[in-house]
Amino acid sequence: MKELKRILSKPRTVLALALIILANAVLFVREQVKNDYGLDVSLPLGGTVIMFDTVTVTSEIADARGAYAHYLDWIEKVRDMAPSDAAEYLRLQKDALADAIAADRDKNDGDIDEDARLDYAAVNSLIDRVDYIAGYGELLDNIRANKENLLSFSIFNKPGSFSSRNIIKTADEFEKLEDVKLTLGADGAVDALLSFHMTDYLLTLALTLFALSFLEERRAGLWAVVYASPRGRLRLAVKRTLILLFVSAAFVLILYGTDLMLGFSVYGGIRDLGRTVQSVETLGRLPIITTVGGFLVRYFILRAAAAFLIGLLLWLLLSAVDNVKYALVAAAFAIAVEYSLYTFLPVQSAFNVFKYFNIFTYISLSDLYTDYLNVDIFSYPLGIRAVSQSALPFLCIFAASACIFAMCTKRPASGRDILGRAAYIINSVTDKLLRRFHMLGMELYKTLWIGKGVVIVALLAYAVTELTFSVSVPVKSLSEQTAREYTVEFAGLITDDTLSRMDAEQERLEGDVAAYEDALIAYDRGELDYKHLNVLAASASTAKTKLEGLAAVRERVQSLTALGKEYGIEPWLVDEIPFESVYGARAQYERRTAALTAVLALTLILAANVTYERQSGMQKLLSASARGRGTLIERKLATAAIAAAAVWLLVYGAELRTFMCDFTVTAWDAPVQCVAMMQKFPFHITVRVWLVLLYLYRYVCLYCVSVVVLAVSSFASRTEAAYVAACALTVIPSLLYAYMNVDVLAPISLIVPVEAMSLLTDAGGAVSALLAWSAALAAVTAVAIVWLFVSANGTKRRISRT
Amino acid sequence: MKLELINLTKKYGSFTALDRVNVTFTEGIYGILGANGAGKSTMMNLLTDNIARTEGKILFDDGADPFDSDGADILTLGRSFRRVLGYMPQEQGCYDHMTAETFLFYMAELKAIPKKRARDEIEKLLTATNLYDVRHKKLGGYSGGMKQRVLLAQALLGDPKVVILDEPTAGLDPKERIRIRNFISSLSRGRIILLATHIVSDIESISDKIIMMKRGRVVGIDTPSELIGSVADKVKELPCRAEDLERMQELYRVGNVFQRQGKTWVRVVGDTLPDGGQYVPDHLSLEDVYLYYLGA
Repeated sequence: MKELKRILSKPRTVLALALIILANAVLFVREQVKNDYGLDVSLPLGGTVIMFDTVTVTSEIADARGAYAHYLDWIEKVRDMAPSDAAEYLRLQKDALADAIAADRDKNDGDIDEDARLDYAAVNSLIDRVDYIAGYGELLDNIRANKENLLSFSIFNKPGSFSSRNIIKTADEFEKLEDVKLTLGADGAVDALLSFHMTDYLLTLALTLFALSFLEERRAGLWAVVYASPRGRLRLAVKRTLILLFVSAAFVLILYGTDLMLGFSVYGGIRDLGRTVQSVETLGRLPIITTVGGFLVRYFILRAAAAFLIGLLLWLLLSAVDNVKYALVAAAFAIAVEYSLYTFLPVQSAFNVFKYFNIFTYISLSDLYTDYLNVDIFSYPLGIRAVSQSALPFLCIFAASACIFAMCTKRPASGRDILGRAAYIINSVTDKLLRRFHMLGMELYKTLWIGKGVVIVALLAYAVTELTFSVSVPVKSLSEQTAREYTVEFAGLITDDTLSRMDAEQERLEGDVAAYEDALIAYDRGELDYKHLNVLAASASTAKTKLEGLAAVRERVQSLTALGKEYGIEPWLVDEIPFESVYGARAQYERRTAALTAVLALTLILAANVTYERQSGMQKLLSASARGRGTLIERKLATAAIAAAAVWLLVYGAELRTFMCDFTVTAWDAPVQCVAMMQKFPFHITVRVWLVLLYLYRYVCLYCVSVVVLAVSSFASRTEAAYVAACALTVIPSLLYAYMNVDVLAPISLIVPVEAMSLLTDAGGAVSALLAWSAALAAVTAVAIVWLFVSANGTKRRISRT
Repeated sequence: MKLELINLTKKYGSFTALDRVNVTFTEGIYGILGANGAGKSTMMNLLTDNIARTEGKILFDDGADPFDSDGADILTLGRSFRRVLGYMPQEQGCYDHMTAETFLFYMAELKAIPKKRARDEIEKLLTATNLYDVRHKKLGGYSGGMKQRVLLAQALLGDPKVVILDEPTAGLDPKERIRIRNFISSLSRGRIILLATHIVSDIESISDKIIMMKRGRVVGIDTPSELIGSVADKVKELPCRAEDLERMQELYRVGNVFQRQGKTWVRVVGDTLPDGGQYVPDHLSLEDVYLYYLGA
C-alpha cells in the first residue's frame, strides 16, 4: 500500500494518468462522431445526372446523432420479424423514403423533412445489419461447403498438410455455431469498444508509467539504499508485482469501462446483452457460444490479464538496463521491433509466428476476437486466439517470476554500462555540434531536445495527418448542382463575353425544351414514336434543371456586377465551393480543431521553457551572467517565434495544401469581396493577398499565444505546474467553448482569433470583430513581453521602489 | 580594482539578514566565514544582483579610469559588471540533461565569450577541475562533487575580475578539496575572489583576508595570521571527565574533544577559561578563531 501511495504521490505521474483517462474519453467520443456513429448518413440525390466532369458533388447528409435515435426505433420495429422479411420490409421502406425525399425537394425548394432524412439514413444503415443476420446461416454453410470443395482438390487434401488440417479445423469450429440464433440489436457500444484501438495504446502508456515508477530509486540514486534494506528485494518485488496486477485490472476497468459506458450512453443505453455474441457483426467470426454480456465479462478479464502481462514485460524490459534513460531507449527499440513485426509481416509469411506471438497481440487484444486465424506450427493449425488465451496465465506467471528474479538478483553496482559508454560516444559527437551553437541555437536545443519539444512536434505532425481541413458542401437539389457546375464553367472576370456565353447556353437549353414541346405535338399527331419522344423528354427535363441553375448563376452575376460598381472593383464570378469547404461556416468545427491542436502543441512545447531554468536551479547563474537577463529573454522570444512558425507551418501548411490541392481554385486574382462570405471585407485586395494576410495573421496570433505561454511559464516553479497553468489559460477555455458550447468562455478562447475565419464570416467579411480581438491579443502580448523582461531584471524594479 | 560595500543592508520584513555592512575588497582572496544564517549568501546574492537590496551601495571600480577611483554602483553598471563577474552559487543548479562541455559552452555564450577563446578556456578549466575525461557525460549522472567542480569551472570562465564562490568545496573529497583550493589560490592575482564557507580549513591557507560574519554583521576582518594571533591567550586544553563534558559545554565554548594518554581532553576557547589545563599558543588554528568570534 505504501509503495502504491509512493507512486501516486508523484504529481507528474498522477497528472499523466489523469490526462490519459481524459484523453481516452475525449478521443473515444470524437471517434464516434467522426464515424457518424457507425451509420451511412448520406441521402439520395434524387437522380444521378452529372452534366459536367468538372465538379464532384457530395450528396447531402443527415445528422448522424439524430439518425442513430431513429436507427434504434427501426430496430424495435423489425426486431420480431424474420431476418429475411425484415430485410425486404426495410428495402421497401428505404425506397419509399427516397421517393418522399425527392418529392419534398421538388415541393419545398430543396428543403427536406427532418424525420425523413433521419429515417432514410437509419433504414439504409440497418439494412446492412439485417442482411448480415439473414446471411449468417449461409456464411456457415459456405464454410462447410468450402471444406468439402477444397478437400476435393489434391493440393489441399494431402493428408497431414497444414492446408487440409486447417480446412477441417475451421469447419469443425464453426460447426458448433450451427444452432446459434442471431438477433438484431444495438451493437454500437460493443463495436466501438472493439474498434477503438487508441485505448490499447493509452493503457500501454499508463502501464509504462507504473513500470517506470518502479525504477524511481535508480533515477533518484537510491537503488543501492533500497537494495541493501531488508525489505528491498523479494518483498518489494512481490509487492510491485501485486501492485501491477491491481493497476492493470484498475486501468482496464477505468479505460475500457469508460469506453463501454460512453458507448452505451451514445448508442442507446445498456441493452441487448443477452443476444448470442455472433449477432454483433464484428464478432461474427468468433467460434464460441456465449452471449454479448458473457463475451464482455470474458473480454474484460482477459484484458486485465493481458494488461498485467504487458506491464510485467515492460517492467522487465526497463529494468534490464541500469540507467533509466537508456532502459527507455532499449525498451522503445524492442517495442518498435515488435510493432513492426506485428504490423508489417505478411499473414502468409513463413515467419508469421513472430507476427502473432507478439506483445502487440495482447496490446491489440480485440483483434483476436474480430479475426479468425490459424497459423502453421509444424503443419498443425493453431488458432491465434486459443493459443494466446491459453498461454496468458502461464506467460503472466513466467513474466512475474522473471521480474521478481531480476529485481532480487540485479545488483545496483554490478552493471557494465555498455549503453552508457555508447551514449558517451554519441554525446561527444553532439557536443561537437552544440559547441557551435549560439544562444538562439542553445535555446532551441533546450526547448526542442531537453524539453522534449521535438516529441510534441512529431506528435503534431501525426495529428495533422488525422485532421480534416475541409468539409463537403452538400447540394440540396439538382438545380443547385447545375448552378455550381455553371459557376465553375463561367468562373472568372465577368465580361460581355461571359454574358454572351450564358445567353448562348440559355438559348441552347431553351431550344431543348422547345424541341420537346414540338415533339410532344408531333407525338400527339402520330408523327413521332414514343422512344424518340422519351429521349427528347429526358433532355428537356435536364435542360429545365440546367435553366434553373443558369438562372441562379445569372442572378449571382448581376449581384456581383452591382457589388463591383458599389465598391469600385472588377466583378468576378467565383467558384465558392473551395472557400466554403475550407473557410466557410460549415468548416468551423474543423478549423477550431486545427486551431486547438496548434495552440495545444505550442503550449506543450513552451510551457516549461522559463520554468525549466528555475527548476534546474539555474536562475541565479543566468541572472549573474552578462547575457542572462534581457538577451536571454530576447532569445526565448525568438525561440517562441520559431516554435510558432513550426506549428503554423505544420497545421496551416496542411490546411493551405488542402485548399490548393484538393480544390481547383481559379480566382486568385479576383477581388476578395467577390467571394460571398467576404462580401463586406473593407480593403480592396485580391483573393491571393487576402490568403497571405489570413495566414500571416494566424501566425501572429500563434506567436502571441506562445508569448503568453512563456509569461505563464515564468510564474511557475515546477514544470508540472507550468503545464497545468498554461493549459488552463490557453487550452481549457477553448476546449470548453468549442466542444461543449460554453459560450461564456468565448472572449478568452484563443482559438477564436487563431482560427480567425469565423470572426470574418459571421460578419460577412467585416473586420470589426477581428480588429477587436487583435487589439486585445496585442495588449495581452505586450504585457506578457514587458513582464518577461521585468521579471528577468526584477531586482532593479524592486530597488527603484526602495 | 576595488569593490566597495557601503551600508549594505537587506531586510526581509522585520528580519535583518544583512545589517549596514561596510567592506572594501581589493585584489586578493577574501574568505567569508560565518555560521548558517550569518548573512554570507545574502551578501553574495546582493553582490550578484540576484536579490534586491534594502539600503546601501555596492560600488565597483575596475581601475581602468585613473580619474575615477570611486567606481559606479553595480546596478548602474549592469551588464558591464556582469561581464567581469564569475559566480558560483551555493545550490548545485545546472542543466542535468547537458554534458559538462555543452554546459560550459552555453555558459560561455551567456558570458559573451568568443567561441575560440571559450574553447581554449573550457579545455583548460576542465583539466584543472579534473573533469576532462568525463566532459561528455550528462551532468545528471555526475556526483555532487563533480557538479561542484563544473560550477566552479563555469564561474571562472571568461577570466572574471570578480569571482564570487559560495561554498565552492562543499561535497568534495579531501584530495579534490586541496586541488580546488590550490587552483583558486593560483587565480588570486589581478582578481577579487570572495569565498564564502563555513569550512575553515578551506580558507585558512589561501585567504589574504578573512571576514567574520555573525547575524548579518561583519564582526571581524583581518589576515588569517592576525586573527589567529588575536586569540593566542584565549585557547586552553584541559582534561575533562566524561560526566562533566556536558556541563563544560554549557559553560564554555568547547572545540575539539579528544583522547590523550587514556583521558578525555577538551579544547576550550573564550575570554573566560576554566582553571587548570594549559594554553596552546603555538597550535592555534582558524577553528579557534571561528569559535571565539562566531561560536556563541
